Amino acid sequence: MITLGELDRDEALLEAIARLCGPTRAELLRTTALGGAAMLAVLVARPASAEAALSDVDILNFGLRFERLQSTFYTQADEMGTIGRMSNPKQTWAETLGAHERAHVKIIASVLGPKAGPKPSFDFGNATETDADFTRTAVAMEDLTVALLTGVTPRIHDRRLTAALFGLLTVEARHASWARHIVGATPAPAAFDEPRTLDSVSGAVKRTHFITGAPKMTSSSSPNFTG
Amino acid sequence: MTSTTLTRAGFLRAALGGGATAAGGIALGSRGGSTEASPSRSTDAEILNVFLALEHAQEDFYRAALAADAIDQPLREYATAAAGQENEHIAFLREHLGGRARPHQKVDAGDAVRSPARFRASAIALEEAAIGAYIGQGANLTTPMIAAIAPLISVEARQAAWIRDLAGVSPAPRAADAPRRSAAVLADLRAKGLIG
Repeated sequence: MITLGELDRDEALLEAIARLCGPTRAELLRTTALGGAAMLAVLVARPASAEAALSDVDILNFGLRFERLQSTFYTQADEMGTIGRMSNPKQTWAETLGAHERAHVKIIASVLGPKAGPKPSFDFGNATETDADFTRTAVAMEDLTVALLTGVTPRIHDRRLTAALFGLLTVEARHASWARHIVGATPAPAAFDEPRTLDSVSGAVKRTHFITGAPKMTSSSSPNFTG
Repeated sequence: MTSTTLTRAGFLRAALGGGATAAGGIALGSRGGSTEASPSRSTDAEILNVFLALEHAQEDFYRAALAADAIDQPLREYATAAAGQENEHIAFLREHLGGRARPHQKVDAGDAVRSPARFRASAIALEEAAIGAYIGQGANLTTPMIAAIAPLISVEARQAAWIRDLAGVSPAPRAADAPRRSAAVLADLRAKGLIG
């Protein structure tokens, strides 16, 4: 459904793949549905040790950035009237997802309290302007969120937070499933989702150029994934 | 409908109340003086056996519905996909449980698979039960098992959203899913005749 070519706007990743695996492979991937997340993760992830020292605050702050990215995306599409121009079932879908992502921002920010990082600025380009662009981006983002949460939830130290993140993961997976169903793709394409590392998700987000301003983190533990 | 009023306290209470503490398994990184068991291989086996029973109940139900021929597309497509995925989940859980896997108690799905409406309602009950139990118990597993089980939990949620959409109810009715105690989940499904 969503292809690497669509997500990898400046083609940095495809170029890297071409260098590693040859241009034919890269060309194939450009139009291949982004189910091969595992391979992508291998290509863009740093060694696991680079993430070993992440604290719960680091992980939650990354989650907060990602939820802010999503909630701003839905809110902006709403404000621009893009959602209002869609069919009724799609409006319900987009508005529900927007409300949930805004709630997730509140939840994570309140858990972090004063340790919450500042809000970055975003530029979604055309992605919030038309039904087609919006929908395609939403499908990719929701699947990416599932991959992120399946990857980072096991890295959380505080088990209360682990349980809480599971409760967000299942909602993100519902979103992804719903989004895929709306566009006519299989809602549950495999028996297991592919977890992705935080750095790999960070790289994917970076390549979209959706985050334009990343204020310095106020936390003393400066994560290496600020995009 | 969509919950946007979750507070930090509520969020953590939800995580704690229904899940972690209820299951009695976790050492919260805290030195709370809990005398209950920390995550361990034997706790893992207890929890994975609950998941195994839930996955079996789901697969049996979907296979029975397909065999009873009471559902048409697109429900058949859903049931076929879900049955195959639950089967893979069962294989995964059995591999981790080895000799600790409890015997499978098959249940006669009976009326639950006789009409599309009954099928939809029962499928939603089974999927939501699994989600609640996975969230409630998942955090009590050892860290390697949490990593192993996370990509399976999300697929249960994908299935739930899929069948809910087919049933015409909101695929994602809440901003955060709640943990449930496994005993309550199992009792609930037993009362509906959906688990042995």
